Amino acid sequence: MSQDNIRKYWKSLRDYYNPEELKKLKEDEFLEGTIDNVDLAGMPPISRRRFLALLSASSAFAFAACSNFKDKGEIVPYNKQPEEIIIGNANYYASSLNCCQNGCSVLVKTREGRPIKIDGNPDHPVNQGKICIRGQASILNLYDPDRLKSPQQKVSNRQFAPVSWKEANKSVTDALNRATEQNKEIAFISNKVNSPTTLLILNEFKQKYPTTKFYFYSNFSNRTKIEAWKEVYGIATIPSIKLNKAKIILSLESDFLNTDGDVIEQVRQFAETRNVNDLKNFSRLYVVEGNLTLTGTNADYRLKLRPDYQKDFLLSLLNEILRRTNSKVNLPVELVNQIKSYDLNSFVLKHQLSKEVVSTLVDDLLNNQGKSIIICGDRLGKDEHVLTLILNEILSNTQLYDFNSTYVNLVEESSIQDFESLVQKINQGQVGAVINFDCNPVYDFSFLRLSDVFNKVSLVVTLTEQKSETATLSNFILPIHNELESWNDFQVRNNILNLQQPVIAPMYDTRQKESVLITWTTGEVYYETIYQRKLRSRWKNEVFSQFSSLDNFDTFWYASLHDGFVNLPVKNSGKPSFALKSFGVSDERKQDEILLSIHPHPYLYDGKFGNNGWLHEVPHPISKIVWDNYAAISPKTAKQLNLKNGDLVQVSNGKFNIELPVFVQAGLADNLICVETGYGREECGEIGKGIGFNVQFLINKNSSSPYNSYVSVKKTGKEYNLVTAQEHHSLDDTFVKDFHRKRRIIQEGTLLQFEKDPDFIQRERPELLSIVHEVKYEGVKWAMAIDMNKCIGCNACVVSCVAENNIPMVGKDQVEKGREMHWMRIDTYYSGTPDEVVVSNQPMLCQHCDNAPCENVCPVSATNHSPDGLNQMAYNRCVGTRYCSNNCPYKVRRFNFFDFRSYFNNEYQYQEPLNFLNNPEVTVRSRGVMEKCTFCVQRIMEARQKAIEQGKEFDGSGVKTACQEACPSNAIVFGNMLDKNSEVSKLRNHKLAYYVLEETNVKPNVTYIAKLRNINSESV
Amino acid sequence: MRTIDYTIEPPVVEGKPSLSSINEDIARPLETKPTKGWYIAISISLTMLLIGAVSLAITFIEGIGVWGLNQPVGWGFDIVNFVFWVGIGHAGTLISAILFLLRQRWRTSIARFAEAMTIFAVMCAGLFPAIHTGRPWLDGYLLPYPNQHALWVNFTSPLLWDVFAVSTYFTVSLVFWYIGLIPDLATLRDRTTNKIKKVIYSILSLGWRHSTKHWNHYEMAYLILAGFATPLVLSVHTIVSFDFAVSIMPGWHTTIFPPYFVAGAVFSGFAMVQNVLIIIRKVFKIEHIITLDTLEKMNKVMLATGMMVGYAYAMEFFIAWYSGNQIEQFVFLNRALGPYAWSYWIMVSCNVLFTQLFWFRKIRRSIPVMFVIGVLVNVGMWFERFVIVVTSLSRDYLPSSWGMYIPSIYDIGILIGSFGLFFTLIFLFIRTLPVVSIAEVKAVLPNSQPSHGGNH
Amino acid sequence: MENKPLYSVAATFNDVNKTLAAVQKINEAGYKNYDVHTPYPVHGLPHAMRLKSSKLGWVTLIFGFSGALFAFLFMYWVNVIDYPLIVGGKPFYQLPAYIPVMFEVTVLSAAVFTVVWMLFIIFKFPNNSHPLIDTEYMKRVSVDRFGISIQANDDLFELNKVKEFFKNLGAEEVFEIYYKIDELKDKPKIFDKKFISFLALTSIVVSAITYFVLNQLLFMSPFNWMHEQFRLNPQKATTVFKDGFGMRNPVEGTVARGYLPYPFKGKPADAEMKLVNPLIPTKQVLELGKEKYLTFCSPCHGNFGFGDSRLRGQFPNPPTLHSDRLRNMKDGGLFHIITEGQNVMPGYASQLTTDERWAIVHYIRVLQRSVNPKESDLR
Repeated sequence: MSQDNIRKYWKSLRDYYNPEELKKLKEDEFLEGTIDNVDLAGMPPISRRRFLALLSASSAFAFAACSNFKDKGEIVPYNKQPEEIIIGNANYYASSLNCCQNGCSVLVKTREGRPIKIDGNPDHPVNQGKICIRGQASILNLYDPDRLKSPQQKVSNRQFAPVSWKEANKSVTDALNRATEQNKEIAFISNKVNSPTTLLILNEFKQKYPTTKFYFYSNFSNRTKIEAWKEVYGIATIPSIKLNKAKIILSLESDFLNTDGDVIEQVRQFAETRNVNDLKNFSRLYVVEGNLTLTGTNADYRLKLRPDYQKDFLLSLLNEILRRTNSKVNLPVELVNQIKSYDLNSFVLKHQLSKEVVSTLVDDLLNNQGKSIIICGDRLGKDEHVLTLILNEILSNTQLYDFNSTYVNLVEESSIQDFESLVQKINQGQVGAVINFDCNPVYDFSFLRLSDVFNKVSLVVTLTEQKSETATLSNFILPIHNELESWNDFQVRNNILNLQQPVIAPMYDTRQKESVLITWTTGEVYYETIYQRKLRSRWKNEVFSQFSSLDNFDTFWYASLHDGFVNLPVKNSGKPSFALKSFGVSDERKQDEILLSIHPHPYLYDGKFGNNGWLHEVPHPISKIVWDNYAAISPKTAKQLNLKNGDLVQVSNGKFNIELPVFVQAGLADNLICVETGYGREECGEIGKGIGFNVQFLINKNSSSPYNSYVSVKKTGKEYNLVTAQEHHSLDDTFVKDFHRKRRIIQEGTLLQFEKDPDFIQRERPELLSIVHEVKYEGVKWAMAIDMNKCIGCNACVVSCVAENNIPMVGKDQVEKGREMHWMRIDTYYSGTPDEVVVSNQPMLCQHCDNAPCENVCPVSATNHSPDGLNQMAYNRCVGTRYCSNNCPYKVRRFNFFDFRSYFNNEYQYQEPLNFLNNPEVTVRSRGVMEKCTFCVQRIMEARQKAIEQGKEFDGSGVKTACQEACPSNAIVFGNMLDKNSEVSKLRNHKLAYYVLEETNVKPNVTYIAKLRNINSESV
Repeated sequence: MRTIDYTIEPPVVEGKPSLSSINEDIARPLETKPTKGWYIAISISLTMLLIGAVSLAITFIEGIGVWGLNQPVGWGFDIVNFVFWVGIGHAGTLISAILFLLRQRWRTSIARFAEAMTIFAVMCAGLFPAIHTGRPWLDGYLLPYPNQHALWVNFTSPLLWDVFAVSTYFTVSLVFWYIGLIPDLATLRDRTTNKIKKVIYSILSLGWRHSTKHWNHYEMAYLILAGFATPLVLSVHTIVSFDFAVSIMPGWHTTIFPPYFVAGAVFSGFAMVQNVLIIIRKVFKIEHIITLDTLEKMNKVMLATGMMVGYAYAMEFFIAWYSGNQIEQFVFLNRALGPYAWSYWIMVSCNVLFTQLFWFRKIRRSIPVMFVIGVLVNVGMWFERFVIVVTSLSRDYLPSSWGMYIPSIYDIGILIGSFGLFFTLIFLFIRTLPVVSIAEVKAVLPNSQPSHGGNH
Repeated sequence: MENKPLYSVAATFNDVNKTLAAVQKINEAGYKNYDVHTPYPVHGLPHAMRLKSSKLGWVTLIFGFSGALFAFLFMYWVNVIDYPLIVGGKPFYQLPAYIPVMFEVTVLSAAVFTVVWMLFIIFKFPNNSHPLIDTEYMKRVSVDRFGISIQANDDLFELNKVKEFFKNLGAEEVFEIYYKIDELKDKPKIFDKKFISFLALTSIVVSAITYFVLNQLLFMSPFNWMHEQFRLNPQKATTVFKDGFGMRNPVEGTVARGYLPYPFKGKPADAEMKLVNPLIPTKQVLELGKEKYLTFCSPCHGNFGFGDSRLRGQFPNPPTLHSDRLRNMKDGGLFHIITEGQNVMPGYASQLTTDERWAIVHYIRVLQRSVNPKESDLR
């Protein structure tokens, strides 16, 4: 009770009305919720301060150690993305290349608008998706850092200063006008023109400057052949030959598989006749040659004969054939009389040719009339060609001529004599100006010494892509577009017109050579499409008009660009009649003298590609020599002159003395020196400058065949270091002889043997057993098959691989050490005797063995097996112990002993824009990393990705490796071996299939189809 | 007339030195000023080391392209030296461990030194796998450490086995050696008057106080280590030989390699130990501790192992012929007759022919002759590895990819450097640590053990 | 001197046999805590001291086995469970290949742990502050004397008695051995200025070095991690062209394979007339069309083509796709609009391939028919 009485004091109304609450509030310092579930005991032992201290300290360390990532450059997207480009996907453009006046139709692969690879145009009837080794390599020329980037004007001897196009054009046109006024000749030198539109421009030019005289030429032209045709058939349009229909091919000094004529087509057609599943039409190739050419190595029967005796041979053969046939062909009388004195048997005896071979040859020719063909080398004289035509006529081989696809000549080629007269005119001061239209006459005609006379001309202009001997002697060097930046059209065959479209906008201040001419002719202000318009209009007027059916030119035009060519309607005139009036053989054989035979280099050809390192680095198909040319002589001749490899000899043809290194080449004819052009460029950029020897001097302008002439040889006693990429072991050293056969690396048979005993390969195969059960593969497992009957050893695959897989050049010294980087190589083995060699080529690349010995020994698993059966390399895991390479029986692994891009030619390969060249899909390997063939895994992944996008089951079809794509003879087949119907699995089970070093039980996945030699014997 | 078993041997230590004189003799080199000879020696070895260092630096910067290696021949001096040095090391373990287990008392005087040599040799050896890679800065990849790529090493690769074998070998030898050192370090600690030395010795000796309770465990531990070192030493060179035997290269792919390599290793190792000891005992005047009998015994071992090696050479040829495999046959013919025949014949003459002289007691006991032979054996054994590595690779399966290996000056420079490293370490060792185990020698002195029978 | 606690009394003998006899005496006298110090292991002494033989072997055994087991399990886990790789066509689990590593690891762990155990567990080393260290006694013992020390903590210990005892045993010298307290006194402090500054210095140096090594040194030549490769990846800049664009535009007027230019630019009428939908409306095509429609068209035209969309109101409203005009418009017309765009609608040629555009047309048809179906659909 008393409680109640106690008086209550209140501070606030709230207090008064609800004291309990407030009391509660007063009691605890913090409001509800602020401090509950704070358990002091549970507090961490570390005080806040201590914690912060630790934090700051640790963060300090963290900051110190953390990596400030290196700047990877900024992202530069498209402003407006073009319709056809999807970033990361490749585009393909049909275009054409005219590097060797062949106007080959190509398909250029571009990434984000930059070309990165060139292959043949698959739709094109002639090259059907293939392109030669030069075409493969020509992508390098586009990005060559040594390209001329802007016009230059001569200030003093060999001293040049940059000049603007405007000024250059002005002074040139002035000079041209002056020349016209003074009625002096304007010498217009150009390679053989095969573009109708270009020709149009040239004619317009001539109209403007009437005193212009055109000098068209091409090295190793087929002029003599054309003359022969004119003489025999009265036509200059030579038909192409249906080689694929031929049973018997006789090649006389003609390297038609490598350098003579339209090689790509010939190789393909030849390969078609080497189909092991179609033995009936298996062709037989006879080669009669002095040099050992690639064609020779692929011959079934090869006869060694000095080129200057070909005429006698042909006459004797003709005599023999005539004797044994009664042909209707009426030959000129003097010829009939003349050949009486040529007897084949005595000829055979005189030149120690194999009697059996010659007699089988004659029999074959007679028994296969109409199914055989005799091919005469372009480098031989007119007489040989005429005789060949006569023989083909007699044997009615003319059926193999394809008059639906004949070679057209838009222009008449000038003869050497024309150029001589040019020199005279210049000396007499009759020449006002010389225009070198994308050609290099000073080098090509070294023997005319144009270099001495050019300075007598008031104006020498050179339109060129790269520095050249000619350019350095001119007043103006005008840089022109690369082929891949140009518009044009080319006509080589009468039935096809190729189109060329640029795949990248001009990279530098260059202009298309035709456009330059237009500006000179019309005086128009230059704009990029100035020539394209001409081209388009010509097509509208002249080409499109031939197609009556179509209505819309644009559609036609774009379609043609899309395809890269149009098939022209041809009116087949049919075979012209044999119309040889008179014929007499001029006699100029000196058998005791040494004959010099000049050949085009298989890769560098005439030297236009002198600065293309890829071509220098690919081993020569016969000698395996890199970065050099040389004088090849036969072992016997070497003994006589007591020469050995690397001796420098002085070769003189009376006018010039050239020093050349000797290479003793088995299989050569005796008393013969074979040299190859394309080397010894003095001016062409960092790479090609001054390597090898210029043999253009030795071209004999007087001889009927300027490439074969008599010379004297003197030993100088000096030595020169020739480097071969493959050690050749002397053929008579029993210690190492014929290992490729003994070890069953090369397995060959003859046609008869195979027909008689199809299992002769399979029987020899070892049966293998494994102590562990093998890995099972499902779905796709990759494998390759290489048909040795088709492979001719042209090395196109090698360069294609180089371009696809970012393989660096290493240079001569490193190749000498044995450090070449090519993932793929063509092994060449010799057997037989030094005189009669049997050559076997074998493409060798990573065999992607199931039991890969390289994988076991890699300590870091950098190389291991993918679920689809690839032996794969994780480059960035590789430490570089080289154990895998040691343990590889095929020695196909390649090690980056240096960062070769920086080691070779002081960082040449690290100059922009060579980085454009590198395939973005392929790692650029660093120093100290092992690398090897990947079966083009990037292409496989692309295909797999496509399949996934389209939601399809990936069956492995449609993947082509770079080498396969490039192979002109389709010798390489790649695909899924688990798919029973795939071509590759068929070949794996072929009777002729074998594996190299199968007995090591590494289970390689590259199958080789044994080569069948078509000879009359049951063993090789 | 003692009843203890080891007296049937000639005494390990000649004369009757007192326990204290042992201390004096062995510790002398550590306390006196180094002689002129020592300075000359170390400056030479340092120069060699420098040459090696420079060659190595250039290799590191330029890439191993500066060596003579090429496509077929992926291994050259680098691996040759590696195998050579590992071989040298083996003698040490053999002497200290195996002979210990066999109760060979004569080992005590040379064990310490041999062990040191083992360690230095293995250091030289370990150098080469590390520097022979194309990207040495990634050598860490050879260790199985967890990484963000979840990548592991390849346990099937002999090279990886090497990593484990060599590192284990090095660690265990080091431990073994150090254990042996502890009592001596304690002794030195108690001897020395120099303050710094004292600190160092104290730290190293961990406070050892010669207590019997400790000796009790200590001897057990030493026995166990010896017991492990013995199979280890055999395994190491076996595994090194796997580098070749496991491959499929003709001339490498041989089952005889493991025993053959071990024998060879012991062979070369003993030669090296013998060579160096001959110098040491002369320089430091401890002929009475490292006796001629000891050296003779070593020569006997060399004779035996040398003949084992010779047997292996012959057997390789026989098997090649017997296998009927022509590629195999060619490889061996090529060794004897091919472009590298000279190296093969150096190998044979040095390893098999000259060692036969040891049949004669006179030669076994003549210091200069045995020294020369020892040197020859080392040369021969180096070339043995050269023959195995290079000739096999230079001419293997495909004739198209045969090639020659010509060593560059950098190869040679690094070889010299490895010798420089080895001898520098040796010379430093003999100035800083007792070259002979004080405690062990004391233990085998006459009258050092209770006369009523040591029971062991 | 007095305040120093006594550790033990030690005596040296000059002959090993005497020592052995002495030990026996001591045992008889019943002393427990004593130890014998000899310059080298003396045979039979442990026996005399009644020491049990060492149990170290067990340590070795345990660690040896565990090493082997660990190595095996690790390799198995790596090769079979964690990251199976096909290597040389061999099975993942391959015992023979494991054996060398297993052996080495066994030896390593056994050897190392035995020693570590002995030194640090049994001997409790390092222990340089032990009273016996740095005594005259120890100096004698480490040369050629044999010493016995009886510790003060022994039950029977009495200083003088023990001294006497030693004398009687024929000891050469007798030492009293004391704990070293003076050392205990001046122990270094942790928060000593010098020490702190030393720490600071090291930390700075360490971090400086780590920074240099990790961020500078490792990116210098010859170190190469293939981070930057000499090739032009998509969307990269280049110095070759003035505009700096690594990605180039195709040249005006060229035709890439599969990209024939659209022939009806600005000619919707022709397009509607001439163009025919090349695709058959299969399920797959319609799926594609739907996907693309929802990605590109729905933002404006709405998911069902009513022109009701997320963006309504932000632009001039897009028309419904269900208007009669569009229903009756031929496929070609729709295709043209998608390709070229109309009014504010941009062309989608660069985002959509030709097929995708045609697929969308099909899908639009489906939408239209879903709203106003044909008779056939209703039936």
